[in-house]
Amino acid sequence: MKFAAIVLQVLFIHVFLFLGAALKEIIPLPIPASMFGLILLFLVLYLKIVKLEWVEKGAKWLMAELLLFFVPSAVGIVNYDDILSLQGAEIVLLIGVSTVIVLGMTALVAERITGRKRGEQH
Amino acid sequence: MMILFTVLTFIIYRSAKMIYAKTALPVFHPLLLAPILLILLIKGMNVSANHYLDATKWLTHLLGPATVAFAVPIYKHLPTIKKYMGTIMISVTTGTLTAIFSTFALSKMIHLKSDFVTSILPRSITTPIAIEVSKEIGGLPTLTTVFVIITGVMGGVLGPSVIKWLSIKTPIAKGLALGMAAHGAGTNKAMEYGEQEATFSSLAMIFAAWITLLWGVLLIPALIHMEPLF
Repeated sequence: MKFAAIVLQVLFIHVFLFLGAALKEIIPLPIPASMFGLILLFLVLYLKIVKLEWVEKGAKWLMAELLLFFVPSAVGIVNYDDILSLQGAEIVLLIGVSTVIVLGMTALVAERITGRKRGEQH
Repeated sequence: MMILFTVLTFIIYRSAKMIYAKTALPVFHPLLLAPILLILLIKGMNVSANHYLDATKWLTHLLGPATVAFAVPIYKHLPTIKKYMGTIMISVTTGTLTAIFSTFALSKMIHLKSDFVTSILPRSITTPIAIEVSKEIGGLPTLTTVFVIITGVMGGVLGPSVIKWLSIKTPIAKGLALGMAAHGAGTNKAMEYGEQEATFSSLAMIFAAWITLLWGVLLIPALIHMEPLF
């Protein structure tokens, strides 16, 4: 029963992806169909045209299993083994260093703003 | 074939997730362990990678509706977004700029080929949007996908150490940092911390995607144009 609800809701969410794709054809902005879809789904939820219960289970499943959808692309790395073996280690190191910098910067900025806000309240 | 490879992918992904949860060892991250096991398996079965990719195409396709699905947390957390709009915008804008500039500078340092540079610049955001930005600035979408995945694994593995090391205390900062630096994989990690961290992580991920789309038009072309000067 729960499985059926998830499948139906995932299909329903697809409708917004297709509407998003249609919108992309009309609006000449470099915005992907899925982003248009996100905005559309948000709008119909906000305007209470679609009830939260109609999409909540499906959306929760899609977001919880997000890593699964990356797995096939990750397997696709084997198609690049010649290029990646050349500079692979350097690229992985680059991404590691940059990711740590981004994480640290974002965390410090957010922590500082949050701390200041909290200070003002007291 | 489609059913066989989908079921295999699902079982191996589930097992990897379980092993990772039990051991908590970074090397067993599901996005490392599952692909490695699958590569070994299809090699053992004498199946080509392209054949496997074709059979599991629809799993990758689900990234589209998964992006649409993020409308649900935005809607549910609208009061939080309104309350923390400033914090989110400032933190995530800083994060996206840091991501683009540090990636650009580091790739210059290791003398990366120029089509690799354009492919690696959008690496910090969720795959479907990263692919769009990559196409827009003349990168190779498949390569971008690989860089996005490496970023996700790195963020998930190193994130908790960075948070501890900088002694970040607030759930808002933890969530925003994980979602900004490691998109979906970071949000997955943030779920282990708690509800509030997960919320801010998914918000950071969505805002990062939007802001980077903007940089893809306004900033990155100028950066690439300046490239010969470096």
